[in-house]
Amino acid sequence: MKFNTIIIGGGLSGLTAGLALQKAGKRVAIVSMGQSTLHFNSGSFDLLGYDAQGEAVSNPLEVIATLDDNHPYKKCGDVAALAEEAKALLTESGVKVAGDAKANHYRITPMGAVKPAWLTITDYATLAEADKLPWKKVALVNVIGYLDFPTKFIAAGLRRLGAEVDVKAFTLPELETARKSPSEMRAANIAKVLGNEDIVKRMAAAVNEQTEGGNYDVVLLPAVLGIADSALSQQLKANVNCQVQFIATLPPSVPGVRVQNLLRKRFIAGGGVHLTGDKATGGVIENGTLKCITTENLTETCLKADNFILASGSFVSGGLTSNYEAVTEAVLGLDVDAADEHGQWVKYNAFEAQPYMEFGVATDGELHVKKDGKVINNCYAVGSVLSGHNRVKMADGTGVSMLTALQAVKNILK
Amino acid sequence: MADLQINSESVFNFEQCLKCSVCTVYCPVSAVNPAYPGPKQAGPDGERYRLKNPVFFDENLKKCLNCKRCEVACPQNVKVGDIIQAARMKYSTHKPSLRDRILASTDFVGTMANRFAPIVNMTLAMGLTKSVMHSTIGVDKHRQFPAYSSKRFETWYKRNAKAQQAQYDKQVSYFHGCYVNYNFPKLGQDLVKIMNAVGYGVQLLEKEKCCGVAKIANGLYDQAKKHGNINIDSIRKAKEEGRVTLATSSTCCFTIRDEYEHILGLEAGDVRESMTLATRFLYHLLDEGKIKLAFRSDYKKRVAYHSACHMERMGWVFYSTELLKMIPGVEFTMLDSQCCGISGTYGFKRENYETSQAIGAGLFKQIKDLAPDCVSTDCETCKWQIEMSTGVPVENPICILADALDVEETIKLNS
Ligand code: SF4
Ligand code: SF4
Repeated sequence: MKFNTIIIGGGLSGLTAGLALQKAGKRVAIVSMGQSTLHFNSGSFDLLGYDAQGEAVSNPLEVIATLDDNHPYKKCGDVAALAEEAKALLTESGVKVAGDAKANHYRITPMGAVKPAWLTITDYATLAEADKLPWKKVALVNVIGYLDFPTKFIAAGLRRLGAEVDVKAFTLPELETARKSPSEMRAANIAKVLGNEDIVKRMAAAVNEQTEGGNYDVVLLPAVLGIADSALSQQLKANVNCQVQFIATLPPSVPGVRVQNLLRKRFIAGGGVHLTGDKATGGVIENGTLKCITTENLTETCLKADNFILASGSFVSGGLTSNYEAVTEAVLGLDVDAADEHGQWVKYNAFEAQPYMEFGVATDGELHVKKDGKVINNCYAVGSVLSGHNRVKMADGTGVSMLTALQAVKNILK
Repeated sequence: MADLQINSESVFNFEQCLKCSVCTVYCPVSAVNPAYPGPKQAGPDGERYRLKNPVFFDENLKKCLNCKRCEVACPQNVKVGDIIQAARMKYSTHKPSLRDRILASTDFVGTMANRFAPIVNMTLAMGLTKSVMHSTIGVDKHRQFPAYSSKRFETWYKRNAKAQQAQYDKQVSYFHGCYVNYNFPKLGQDLVKIMNAVGYGVQLLEKEKCCGVAKIANGLYDQAKKHGNINIDSIRKAKEEGRVTLATSSTCCFTIRDEYEHILGLEAGDVRESMTLATRFLYHLLDEGKIKLAFRSDYKKRVAYHSACHMERMGWVFYSTELLKMIPGVEFTMLDSQCCGISGTYGFKRENYETSQAIGAGLFKQIKDLAPDCVSTDCETCKWQIEMSTGVPVENPICILADALDVEETIKLNS
């Protein structure tokens, strides 16, 4: 049971690395404890949304060149080429996206705000410029009883940009049944209810009924269609009489789950070993080399590989943990970049950039991790477990996940 | 308390819940049955209330399949399914009905049914019996009952296999479970065939009782505990005599390894690692070069693998699928990991039939579209459900391995 590479973490960065290594013919295993932060995805991917001053970035590549040296992008050789590679990898896996690393576009959040984005799934509503909507007359159509799509906020946001907005809602008998449990009427469950061609046909008719005679330029719907792939949203678009686009909902995110499913499926179909729901618990390091790792489920073996990639995510995913004394890397106890003083972890104004967001695993220029100050020569860290970036402040989370993963793969294959 | 402060530890990790609702996405029941409160509400959220006052216990928690898919999905390692089962055990006042008792007594019913197998099989297949059971005791009329074998596995073993086992230097024990014993002895026979071919003798446990999964599901906790302790003692004894205990059912294996301790509170920690799944045991022997397998050149089969919930929870899908992929004549496809909806006795109950079939619908469609020669899975109840709902035959990986094996060549390679 020896692998070329074992990846700890099955989210966006882990799967990206896994697929890229597989393409190079390598035998890869992913150890994935629980589901990833893709479940909070917006249907878009960011490369760099804001600069250090908090201004929206229009050309991410240009601004990335000016970031300070701690930022993970500074360890990614050719950012432009990696960004292209990331986009190609999504497309090949069945996630159709549009966007350009040299020119951000804008997406609409479930709160009705407009935010910069690098790539967006093609069915989702986007704006070329932050203050200009591509439509005048908008029908915003929700599912009756669905609470994670605050139409009031979204309509207000669209009106601020000059649109004329009518808010509508529809239902179907199956959705009425689902409504009996309001707490469970979340995007993913609605997507399961709207999970076949017959019901999507009826959904299209219901949407047509709501929007008939309104002369709308666009019908905007919550992203509650197509957990497995985009087939059902295509079908809906074909059957609604007006242009249809989706807006992300509050989590759990249907487009995020879809991305996760498609990437994971491709990894497994390509012969990758996916240890679902297993937790890496430790490893054996000898002379600066990580020999093998132990996991909770495969108790009897230490899983061996030539290389390891730590893609275990940040605090939310359990890649980093903290108590009142310290921030710790959860699997191997690697060196982390974090303020020593607990008092410096947070700013008490919740809207300020939070210092702890930049805490993470320390790496050298080639993304090698360190333990007790010594570099581990065959173990790389990628994605949100890395120190030196703040995905909330700079909107660089998915970009860092994918680009550092692709860079680590390049470093492995070198 | 100190641990709680320093490491934020809590029973079943319930304090770790971030309220992210990721578990909800993977709960097979919450999507199809709005009467079920869902993993987050039934689990960590509800627990907060129940700790304050048991009146907050909701009998709808019995709609949980105990599939543990929520646990596999949770990024914070919250043992959502365990929280729910433990709450049912602690607070439920619902008494198991006659139907529940019958369904839970896989061992007793099996013993009786074996004696009269042809009659029982015929009777259970009859429309009249089905509709009577449907309306009187609430066993759904659409269900096909697994056929009972006229000869128990244990009887076959004693008459046809036991004497030969001593000739092998290396020995394992076998927890066959009710299904192999009463319904499908071939699976047990196949295991003996493979193990013997690679030079291992197979012993039965000194005493074996039903693993208890159906008893736990139906609220017969005292019986489950009693039987659990008997199994633990037998596995411990085998361990002391140097034998690992193998299972061919993922659910029996999971129940003994994890549910005994977590749900029933039995002392099983010392035997956990000597209870394993046959495919996992074989995989390791192969991986370490301790055994070799030779396969028939004329064996060809298109196999689609279904990850049973408890297999997924144990995290051992990998062993079974890697073994299947080793067989040169197998064309392998991995099905999407999703619950088939049967969950042991759950799908047999009239009130659950619709939910059960709705849960499995996606899986059945994928199987029908793929039209493989067979589906393979490590769980027997998935087998019933998938065969009934798709018409595609379902085989345990051990049976496929045994069928594909070139026995003589394998014996030569290992001697
Ligand atoms: S139990 Fe786990 S998956 Fe469910 S809400 Fe809590 S943290 Fe999220
Ligand atoms: S164990 Fe299964 S059925 Fe029960 S809450 Fe968890 S996911 Fe849902």
